[in-house]
Amino acid sequence: MAKTESRQETGSSKRREWTALLFIVAIVVPLLSIAVVGGYGFVVWMLQVFVLGPPGHGG
Amino acid sequence: MKLLATLWNTLKRPPVHLSLGVVVIVSFIAGVIFWGGFNTAMEVTNTEKFCVSCHEMEDNVYQELQETVHWSNRTGVRAICSDCHVPHEWTAKIARKMQASKEVWGTIFGTIDTPEKFEEKRLELAQHEWSRFQANGSKECRSCHDYDSMDWELMSDEARRFMKPAAERDQSCVDCHKGIAHHLPEDMNKGGNPMLAKLVNNAVAVNAGSEAYYSAESVDLYRDAERTELAGHLTIASEVTVQETQGDSVKLAIPGWRKEKGFGRVLYEGFGQNITNAVLEKDVSQDEALVATGEQKVDDLTGLPWAQVTVELWAKKGAYVDERDALWDTASEIYHDGCSVCHGEPDPEHFDANTWPAMFSGMVGFTNMDAPTQSLVLKYLQKHSSDYVDAENTTGVEDAPEQ
Repeated sequence: MAKTESRQETGSSKRREWTALLFIVAIVVPLLSIAVVGGYGFVVWMLQVFVLGPPGHGG
Repeated sequence: MKLLATLWNTLKRPPVHLSLGVVVIVSFIAGVIFWGGFNTAMEVTNTEKFCVSCHEMEDNVYQELQETVHWSNRTGVRAICSDCHVPHEWTAKIARKMQASKEVWGTIFGTIDTPEKFEEKRLELAQHEWSRFQANGSKECRSCHDYDSMDWELMSDEARRFMKPAAERDQSCVDCHKGIAHHLPEDMNKGGNPMLAKLVNNAVAVNAGSEAYYSAESVDLYRDAERTELAGHLTIASEVTVQETQGDSVKLAIPGWRKEKGFGRVLYEGFGQNITNAVLEKDVSQDEALVATGEQKVDDLTGLPWAQVTVELWAKKGAYVDERDALWDTASEIYHDGCSVCHGEPDPEHFDANTWPAMFSGMVGFTNMDAPTQSLVLKYLQKHSSDYVDAENTTGVEDAPEQ
């Protein structure tokens, strides 16, 4: 990392990091979680319909 | 695209300006907010207000709930939709939430958006829930109702008589308590078993000739094609062939055996078998123009002479199917559901065809089967009794072996 990074580049680099962090934390991770959990639910539902039948005793 | 490239460049390197503490704390707070939001979404979609926001629910099952003990009772403890209908266990709950996409579809495309459409689907929808409760032993009921906490002394004698054995068997509540929160499918226990109504809905168009058909319900028999002179009736699941059709009537040829004693009014399915297929009026059973007699045989067990007969009479159209499998499947399901509540149901082949009528009438009072249902189930049992079961396999065969 060059120590001669200009102030403006430093400023915009900092801004980019914040943008990246907030994007990941507030958009990507929530959407991904919903997709993963929803997908899990969907797969279990399909298993219940075609393979396992309705949920039984236990759990 | 450029934006993504920039983003990726930033993400793949360690941060230059943001401290570890800032990243961790921001992430943690965001995680908490997300977790709270996710759970809030789960809770909100479980509220009564949410469920009832679809008019299909508000106008139908929500109104029916308000007539029941789960809405209003002495102690004021009540259940909302999700208490019973949404599994509490996490995986099953998530699966059910995804399954709700089906309900979203229904709302958008109006699958049950009129009272008529709803009533048509009521049995199917009810059966979804009944099989769910059957599979998990009425787990959702047990969130509030616990057999171990029931005070037998506080129950009426009649209630205790049923509940105590149920507790000992850890029985699934909904086996007996169907209709506890919403109306039963129309005509259930009142005007007719909807499962039998479904059988008639699958009736096929009939062709005159030698092809065998089976009655999907009990039909009246007539001397004339206009169906004004009543001649008797055909029971459910009886074999016939069709001689001709005229308007909305068909002329049936009903094969059977009868006892050559008295007026010979009852037609049975096989020689020596008390499986009733048709009952004729006196004048019809004695009318040689309508009843053709064939082989004659004496039943050694009783000394009674039997005769093979074929009767030709008119009946309404639209009540016949070309094989009995669907009839037997329905009967088998009803038999299992009705006769395994208190004890394991006997195998149909445990008795022979002529033993079943007495066994059946001795026990049927403990069930809620109406007369047409009883007729179908009894015939199912008789046709799958030891007389009809091959020694090597256990599937019922259509013709009884020689007695």
